[in-house]
Amino acid sequence: MKRAAALASVALLAFLHAPLLVLAAFSFNEGRFAVWEGFSWRWYAEAARDQRLVEAAGNSLWIAAAATLISTAAGTLCAWALWKRQSRLLTLGFSLSLVTPEIVTGVSLLAFFQWLFRFGGLQLGMHTVVLAHAGFCLAFVVFVVLARLRTMDASLEEAAMDLGATEWQAFRRVTLPNLAPGVVSAALLAFAISFDDYVITSLVAGVDTETLPMALYAMARRGGSPVVNAISTAIVALLGAAILAAEGLRRKE
Amino acid sequence: MTRRALLFFPALSGLGGCLRPKRRRLNVFNWSNYTARETLPRFERETGIEVRLGVYESNEEMLARVMSGNSGWDVAFPSNYFIGPMRELGLLAPLEHRRLSRLGHLEPRFQRPGWDPALSFCVPLYWGSSGILANPSLAPVPSSYADLWNPLYARRITMLDDPAEVYGAALRKLGRSLNASSPDDLRLAHAEALRQKPLLRAYLNAEARDLMAAGELAACQTWATTAQQAISAAPHLRFIHPADGFALYADCAVVLRESRRRELAHLFLDYLLRADVAAEIAIETFTATAVAPARQHLPEHITRMETLFPAEETLRRGEWFEPLPPAAQRLRDRLWTELKSA
Amino acid sequence: MNRLRCLALAPAAALLTATVGLPFLILAAYAFLSRGTYGGVALPWTLENWRRLADPLYAGILARSFLAAALATLLCLVLAFPLALSIARASRWKHLLLALVMLPFWTSLLVRAYAWMFLLRDTGLVNTLLMRLDLISEPLPLLYNWGAVVLGLVYAHLPFMVLPLYAALERQDPALLEAAADLGARQWHAFWRVTLPLAAPGIRAGVLLVFIPCLGTYLIPDLLGGGKTILVGTLIQNQFTTARDWPFGSAVSLALMAAVLVLLWLEVRRRKEPLL
Repeated sequence: MKRAAALASVALLAFLHAPLLVLAAFSFNEGRFAVWEGFSWRWYAEAARDQRLVEAAGNSLWIAAAATLISTAAGTLCAWALWKRQSRLLTLGFSLSLVTPEIVTGVSLLAFFQWLFRFGGLQLGMHTVVLAHAGFCLAFVVFVVLARLRTMDASLEEAAMDLGATEWQAFRRVTLPNLAPGVVSAALLAFAISFDDYVITSLVAGVDTETLPMALYAMARRGGSPVVNAISTAIVALLGAAILAAEGLRRKE
Repeated sequence: MTRRALLFFPALSGLGGCLRPKRRRLNVFNWSNYTARETLPRFERETGIEVRLGVYESNEEMLARVMSGNSGWDVAFPSNYFIGPMRELGLLAPLEHRRLSRLGHLEPRFQRPGWDPALSFCVPLYWGSSGILANPSLAPVPSSYADLWNPLYARRITMLDDPAEVYGAALRKLGRSLNASSPDDLRLAHAEALRQKPLLRAYLNAEARDLMAAGELAACQTWATTAQQAISAAPHLRFIHPADGFALYADCAVVLRESRRRELAHLFLDYLLRADVAAEIAIETFTATAVAPARQHLPEHITRMETLFPAEETLRRGEWFEPLPPAAQRLRDRLWTELKSA
Repeated sequence: MNRLRCLALAPAAALLTATVGLPFLILAAYAFLSRGTYGGVALPWTLENWRRLADPLYAGILARSFLAAALATLLCLVLAFPLALSIARASRWKHLLLALVMLPFWTSLLVRAYAWMFLLRDTGLVNTLLMRLDLISEPLPLLYNWGAVVLGLVYAHLPFMVLPLYAALERQDPALLEAAADLGARQWHAFWRVTLPLAAPGIRAGVLLVFIPCLGTYLIPDLLGGGKTILVGTLIQNQFTTARDWPFGSAVSLALMAAVLVLLWLEVRRRKEPLL
């Protein structure tokens, strides 16, 4: 049975990576179309020269970083506060956030901003995108961090407080360090969700906030420029290398 | 951590304001295929105005974004049948003709178009049609939309993923106007579309071009511009303006009412009316230009493209899309949903 | 609740109010308004949108979407289980294997969908390969049908099943299986009676994390289905774009969300455990 499971796993990993391999292969294709014409780096050079793509990638990183920071900070604190005491209202809010289809989140946020702007004279822009992203990442962060908290022993914090620590100190010195792996994985999840979002972003984006998924989608719809393949492959390769490096470091410890 | 996070937020929204360059700038929201490589850099060099270009892929997408009246865009390019609705919604700024010295460059038929006879709100700059792109090496070339109901083409054709185009083709097949909006007409068109659906590979927009170039499809309904791009890649393909009629559309430059830089916006519109600028866009993007003097700058192989510049006689079969009355729109959407779920 | 905890809740509560609470209230209000002539909403208040929902056409689409999401969830579960099990039992490569599962999800889903289209086309890689090997003489219709839609749904949501399954299986003590074997249980038997019941929390979490987003997705089913099918996500999307009928779109969204919330509530009640 073990062998059957291993075989099935390999097949599944192949299924997950098949489209990536296609992307990677054709990112090195000399020609523009899906016929192999020889090896070349030209699409990578073109991707690096494409001002719009570079800027969109920068925007995406900025937005994802800001949204991750905000949602992870707020979400971690919230999960800690919810740890021992439930809040029905917040639970309902988070469930609502999780069951809302992306398109509905996007449209309702746009409608909300439209109402808000009637009085504020504000414009759609970086702040609306970051706010939207932080909002839809929040529920995931709370979910992940709370799951980690539930495996932890609440009496540790109480012991610290018995020994004279304030509640905040107990959180900072005792709970937070133990919570770190949960917080890190929540942040990674938030970053991934924010970095890849197209549906919501395209609705609440303003003039200076074209993100990478928006730029890539526009290019793909115009007829799969190999530049799209090149930049996607580059991102996966970079992240793959980062993961390998992190794994290597972990092993050394 | 909370305090830092809270501080970070207003700081971020302020960032855009602080970093914004001192140069005057203009925000242009355009279709992805209407800008040549030099169009914007030249304008920036000549005027010192910085242009920020954003692109969209459908009228609906553009409308959703600018509807708030606080999107930040100055200039947009809705299609002709979106001009009326956008004006009604109060999204368009009236044009100041004294700032548009080259308005006379427009071809005569775009001087007084049905959707904005006095050009009070829009400058029609690009136009085109939809029709049939066919692969003669796979099957006989269809000559009309009615041919796309022939079982000969079963599973080797696609239609556009757009209710106006699919029902429009069915209506022309039935000998009615594209814009017929009575419930009976719409139901008849729907019945035709239902009959056609089993013959279709899919409802596709831009993706059909790649399938045509790869030789997977015998024919597809598509836009002239998209078709010309496919023909350039695969010269054996042919574009047909259907004998039973086809849709015409014009994409028009407008200044949005929310714009605080209307003067610059007019400057940009006038720039786009320049013959050399319009010609350059037509050459690089395969779109038909409405700027008459641009024709002289076009090489012969472009002006000879029947796909983009059909003969007058062919054009007479074309029909401009009009906005649908609300009740008809609702019925059409319900029928479209029914067609998709059939 | 003491002051510190209130303070700790404040940022999240504010964020939730601004990005979920208030927008939701606006959406709920829209569902009872009329369609503006050219989009947007207008007075008077009306129940018309809800009456339209009773149309069997829309009920059918909703039912079909639930079916497609359920099928995709089931397939995800069946496919992800052996992988999660292998990763959980792998001694050295655990983290690397997990990273391999997540890696594809760092590229844009849209780009990967286009790659799938390239694989599945008539002249695509799969068909070309099969023809070269003389296994088929005509290209198989792999793209633009229900199969492709379900494949897209499964592909897009697999990691959300693998991760919770892995988390649940990893905590299992291998000694339990050995004990079962010592007591004479055959491998399948031990799997059925020991491994599976202990993985139940992971299965439940995975099912929720896959099923709910599957219901609302629209880009993937549209791209791979070639627009020949319609699921509720696309229906909602159409209302807000081509149909420009925001009130009806809001009503459909609310109906979908209500259905999912009821499912969620039933599940929480059965489990007798808080959702969060």
